[in-house]
Amino acid sequence: MLRATRLTRRFDDRVAVEDVSFDVAAGEIFALLGPNGAGKTTTLRMLAGLIVPTSGSVQVDDEPMTRDSAARLRGRIGFLTEAPGLWDRLSVRQNLRVYAKLHGLRDAERSVDEALDAFDLRDRGADPAAELSKGLKQRVALARTLMHRPAVVLLDEPTSGLDPEAAREVRELIQRLRREGRAVLLSTHNLDEVERVADRVAVLRSRLVAYDTPAALRARLFGARLRVTLATPAASFVPVLQGIGVSDVRADTTALSIAVDDPAQRAPEIVRTLVNAGAAIQSVTPEQPPLEEVYLRLLSEHGS
Amino acid sequence: MTPARVGALLGKELADLRKNPSVFVPAIITGLMSILLPFFVAVIVPAVTGERLAESSDFQVALEMYRDQPGLRGLDPEGAVQAWIFQQFLILLVITPVAASMSVAAYTVIGEKQARTLEPLLATPLTTFELLSAKVLGSLIPSILLTFASFGLYVLGTILFARPGVAWALLTPRSLLIVFLLGPLAALAALQMAVCVSSRVNDPRSAQQIGALIILPVSGLLIAQVTGSFLLTGTIILLIAAALAIINAGLMALGISLFDRESILTRWK
Repeated sequence: MLRATRLTRRFDDRVAVEDVSFDVAAGEIFALLGPNGAGKTTTLRMLAGLIVPTSGSVQVDDEPMTRDSAARLRGRIGFLTEAPGLWDRLSVRQNLRVYAKLHGLRDAERSVDEALDAFDLRDRGADPAAELSKGLKQRVALARTLMHRPAVVLLDEPTSGLDPEAAREVRELIQRLRREGRAVLLSTHNLDEVERVADRVAVLRSRLVAYDTPAALRARLFGARLRVTLATPAASFVPVLQGIGVSDVRADTTALSIAVDDPAQRAPEIVRTLVNAGAAIQSVTPEQPPLEEVYLRLLSEHGS
Repeated sequence: MTPARVGALLGKELADLRKNPSVFVPAIITGLMSILLPFFVAVIVPAVTGERLAESSDFQVALEMYRDQPGLRGLDPEGAVQAWIFQQFLILLVITPVAASMSVAAYTVIGEKQARTLEPLLATPLTTFELLSAKVLGSLIPSILLTFASFGLYVLGTILFARPGVAWALLTPRSLLIVFLLGPLAALAALQMAVCVSSRVNDPRSAQQIGALIILPVSGLLIAQVTGSFLLTGTIILLIAAALAIINAGLMALGISLFDRESILTRWK
C-alpha cells in the first residue's frame, strides 16, 4: 500500500533522513518512533508528497510519487499534521466543506454530514473553530484528514496535548482505521500508545535503528524471560534453578526473573523444580519489558 | 487546473474576509480620502473662501483645455473647472483597490503559515497555480467591489454637491477605463507582487511594503495630470492597461516559481 525505499533527505549540509526503507500494508498500523529532530516529520512530509526526497522513492499502491504524480497521489493520502491547522474564523462545517471540495468529493455537503456524524461533531458544526477545545480541534482535523476515505493515513503526533479521554478516542479511531483496511503510519513519542495500537514499529534516528513487531524487538534486545512470583523470599531458589542448567536467573524480593530460550517448553520443568524445592508459587508469567525500555536501549545502542 | 478547487479555496477566502471586515479599514479610509480630496478642492474651499475657481489664475489652463470639449460644452466656467478637477483626481480611485488588496494579500501565504493552516492545505491535490489563483482572486474581488462602490459615491457626490452637469461629464469612456480597467489591473499587479514577496518572507509587513510600490507610479500619474505636464488620454490608459496585463502574466509565472512549498514548510518558523 505504502512503500518507502532508501529515502534520504538533505537540507544543505544537514542530513535529516538517510536511507530509510519500510512498507506499510493495508490494515496495518505502523509506528514511527524517534527523539526530537530524528526526521519523523520530514519522513512523513516525503510520504505525503509535500517535499521531495533527495534520493530514494515513495510508492503509493505501487505508483511512484513524482513531481507530476504527487498532486494526484495526495488525493489517496490523508495527512494529519502536527497542528490541527483549522481556519479559526470559519465554522467546523465550513472548514470541512472546503476540504471536501478540494478533494473533489462529488457530494461535498453529504460528505461533510457523514464526517460530522462519524466524529460526533454534528452539534458543533456551526461553531467557529476558534471556540473549540484542543481535543475537539484534533477531532475536526481527523475528520478532515479522513473525509475523502484515503487508503493511506499519515498521523503526526495525533494525541499530542490531548487529555486521556480524548487520547483514548483517537486511539480507538486509529484501530477502526485498521479494521477498515487502511494503511496507517503513526509518528509519536507516546510509547504507551504504540504499545496499544501498533502492529510494527520503526525507531528512527535519521537512519532506521530498528524495524519489527514490538514483541520481536523485545525478544531481540532482552531475550525471552519468565517471571515467577513466590509467597516467600526468592533468593534461596536461585541455586535450585542453576542446578537444572538455568544460567541467567535473578531474584527480586519474592520474584524470580528467569532467561529461557523457549518459555512454553521450559516453564513446566521450572515450576516442577521450584515446587519440589518447597516454593509456594503465586504466578508464572512471560516477562515483558515495557516498550520504553526497548526504545531507550535501541537509542543508547545506536549512540546520540 | 481544476476550477472547482480554485472555487473552493476562493469561497474560503471570501468567507474568512466576511468574518474579518476590519482588514478593509485602511482601504476604506484610502477610498474615502480619495473621494473627499477633490470635493475639498473643488467644492468646500471655494464655498468657504467665496472665491470662484473659474476666476483663479491657477485654473485658467484647465478652463481653456476643457471649454472646447464636447462633453463639457453645456457647463458654465465654474462647472468646467470642477469637472476638470474631478476628472484629474479620479486617478486616486486606482489607489483604492491597490490599498485594499495590499491589506489582504500580504497575509495570504504568511497568514496561512503563521496560523499553521498551510501544511494541511498543501497536503491536498491543490496545485500551486490553483492555490495562488484563489489567493489572488480572494483579495482582488473585494478590492474591486470596494473601488466600484467608491466610484458610485464619487458620482453621487458630484450630483449632490457639484455644479449641474458635472456628474455627467465624469461618465466618459476615459473615466470608466480608469475605474473599471486600470484600477483592477493595477490592483492585480500590486497584490501579485505582495503574493510573490509573501512566498519568500516571514513578515506580512515586508510583503505590504514591497507590494505598495505600485502606488508610486500611480502617484506620479496624478501629479503629472494635476500639473498639466501630461494628459492621461483614453489611448494612453489602454497602453498602460496592456503593459499591466503583460506585467500581471509575468508576475503570475514568477509567483508560481517563487512559491517553494518545501522552503515554506521546512524553513519558516
